[in-house]
Amino acid sequence: MSDARSVPAGDPAWLRGMTMRRMSRRQMMRYAGMSVGTLSLASILAACGGDGGTGGGTPTEPGGSTMPDYTAEPGPVIRFSNWPLYIDKARDKETGERYSPSLRLFEEETGIKVEYTTEINDNAAFFGELLPLLQAGQDPGRDIIVITNGREFAALTQNGWVYELDPNLRPNFDANAAAWAKDPNFDPGNRFSMAWQSGLTGIGYNTEKVKRPLTTADDLMNPDVVPPSSVGVLKADAPDFAMIQLGIDPTTSGPEEWKAAADWLRKLRDAPTFRTAYDQAYVDDLTAGNLAATMGWSGDVLYYALWEDYPFEFIVPEAGALIWIDNMMIPVNAPNPQGAYQLMDFYYRPEVAQMVTEWVLYMSPVPAVQQLIAEHAEQEKGAYAEALRRTAENPFLWPDEELLAKVKFGRPLTTDEEAAEWDSIFLPVWEGL
Amino acid sequence: MAGPVSDERTAVVLPAEGPLAPPARQGERTLERRRRAVAYLLLTPGTLYLALFFALPLILIIYTSLKSGGLLSGGGFRFTWQWENYTDGLATYGSFYVRSVVYAGIATVACILLAYPMAYWIAFYGGRWKSALFFMILVPFFVSFVIRTVQWRFLLGDFGLIFGPLKDLGLLPQDFRVLATPLAVIAGITYNFLPFTALPLYVALDRIDRSLIEAAKDLYATKTEAFRKVVLPLSFPGLFAAVILTFVPATGDYVNSSVLGGPNTTMIGQIIQTKFLVELRYPEAAALSVVLMVGMLLIALLYAKALGTEDETLAAGAGA
Repeated sequence: MSDARSVPAGDPAWLRGMTMRRMSRRQMMRYAGMSVGTLSLASILAACGGDGGTGGGTPTEPGGSTMPDYTAEPGPVIRFSNWPLYIDKARDKETGERYSPSLRLFEEETGIKVEYTTEINDNAAFFGELLPLLQAGQDPGRDIIVITNGREFAALTQNGWVYELDPNLRPNFDANAAAWAKDPNFDPGNRFSMAWQSGLTGIGYNTEKVKRPLTTADDLMNPDVVPPSSVGVLKADAPDFAMIQLGIDPTTSGPEEWKAAADWLRKLRDAPTFRTAYDQAYVDDLTAGNLAATMGWSGDVLYYALWEDYPFEFIVPEAGALIWIDNMMIPVNAPNPQGAYQLMDFYYRPEVAQMVTEWVLYMSPVPAVQQLIAEHAEQEKGAYAEALRRTAENPFLWPDEELLAKVKFGRPLTTDEEAAEWDSIFLPVWEGL
Repeated sequence: MAGPVSDERTAVVLPAEGPLAPPARQGERTLERRRRAVAYLLLTPGTLYLALFFALPLILIIYTSLKSGGLLSGGGFRFTWQWENYTDGLATYGSFYVRSVVYAGIATVACILLAYPMAYWIAFYGGRWKSALFFMILVPFFVSFVIRTVQWRFLLGDFGLIFGPLKDLGLLPQDFRVLATPLAVIAGITYNFLPFTALPLYVALDRIDRSLIEAAKDLYATKTEAFRKVVLPLSFPGLFAAVILTFVPATGDYVNSSVLGGPNTTMIGQIIQTKFLVELRYPEAAALSVVLMVGMLLIALLYAKALGTEDETLAAGAGA
């Protein structure tokens, strides 16, 4: 990064790369849930206050859904709620104001204003905030929300709390979305959602602390590979991850498989190599050298390996890894579903998706972006070109057939009984039982 | 919890002045009425505030704790007098309450042992630096609770500021660690709640009339005896408040055990947090919270009964 001056100073991405410490999204949010817990339980209280049942102004018996008329004239404003550090950014040369070039492009093309907020730090906490509004049938205050596939996602789709999307009105998605982003198991036919970005849960390790490179998840409990008390686990991802390691496809798994996975996790927990299970904050322990190897998110580990020169390696174990998607959705009773849907599809234009990926470093649902970034690298010089080239070549940003064959989605939990059974099998593992 | 209790006391004391006042002439009666009106007026904002932000949420939590259903297929939560939330919760998580009380108890004792000498020294020997010295105890608490706890991870890291050099020198085995053990959690709680212990102790110690100690010495008490028979009993009210203020929030704390602990240090606060934010089972989480709160209230009441009220403590101290 020595020939910094050779790059035009006005280039937003360049400025970003050189002047800011890059941070991955997950890194930013790792203690967010905690501050919610300690500082204000307001959202949870609000959720408690809502009366039973769903409903409000729309027909919302479980399983019911509504589709607004997407061909109607869109409203003048779209309120877009997303996670922090999850979109492209630049500084306006005249006003000094921070803005998102891709959002500005949309505003210029459509004349619709986008109010972008980064208020989502935690799926459940955000869901708790939204819940009373959804239950009361009120304007939820957002036209687009981004929710990871999981329990909150299921609650939103199954209670009719998000609008159904019209499959005929998303040309860019149809033309450009990656195969893995289309028709995911948690939302068949993309009835309610479209991917914003995505990532993998695999193994990250410190090459200086392990005795040989890791290849399987069983290496995590092998004292000949990793030192004592140096292995971390991500609580939320552990069950699906464990099933994948046992050769079970989580998506079709049942209680018997879950128990097998819990047993595997118990074995890991009781191994001398095990240290602790994390909600989110594992990266600190990895960078501090407390962890030699851990279940980790691709974006986190890759960021430290590629941009901060830590001796880290991210692998997809031989038996496979877990893939997750953060999904754009339109909450029911949002006043501008037409504009929202238009914006969602807009992000499936390769040149727009490229703007995001050059900033965010998670898996883009638009594979054509890889080529565009490679071409962009050709046009740039020096360190910035190098960074772009590395981004374009990273196997975990652009999963090929071979990798995709090894990654699986998690088990969607669709009923309360199922979720209760799942929790009764897996939570005791981390509660020391 | 100490807040509502003391408010209640104020509420009882003030109106009681009315009937107890001696019979008065017409003008005095008007004056008396006005005084009472002012007293009520002064109470109104606090009462309203507590009603709105303490009582109402409490009622909501209790209401929620008796609901059943689920958010996935149950079509939301419905109020059904679901007492099973309580019985099942206690049966499953009883041991976590016990662990929380034990951790908080040890941390409270540690806090007293650390804070008492400190508060004593500042109150008696701080001189004109008293305020500045006491302020120094509070300075770290201008930084967020979570941030400070997270910093402890770096401090206590296996190869961190403390253990790194010791391991390099061969004074500690390479696999020695404190993080992810009960010790780390209890130490973290002790650190985080120390000012809640120090503040009431300092106030109580600072209030002690020095002439009483002089008098004790005049009556041939040794320094130790003067401390034991005068200073210590007179600081009991502060000690009482310090224990309540430290122990009660420490029991419900979940930040220390989730940031510094491991699977074997899980406290009830973490269980409640998981129920709320991972499992989305609000009724069960609310029931566990109510149990925690009632349990704490009972412990506090028993404790108050055992040690007596502030005045009785003073009397007991004087009699000792």
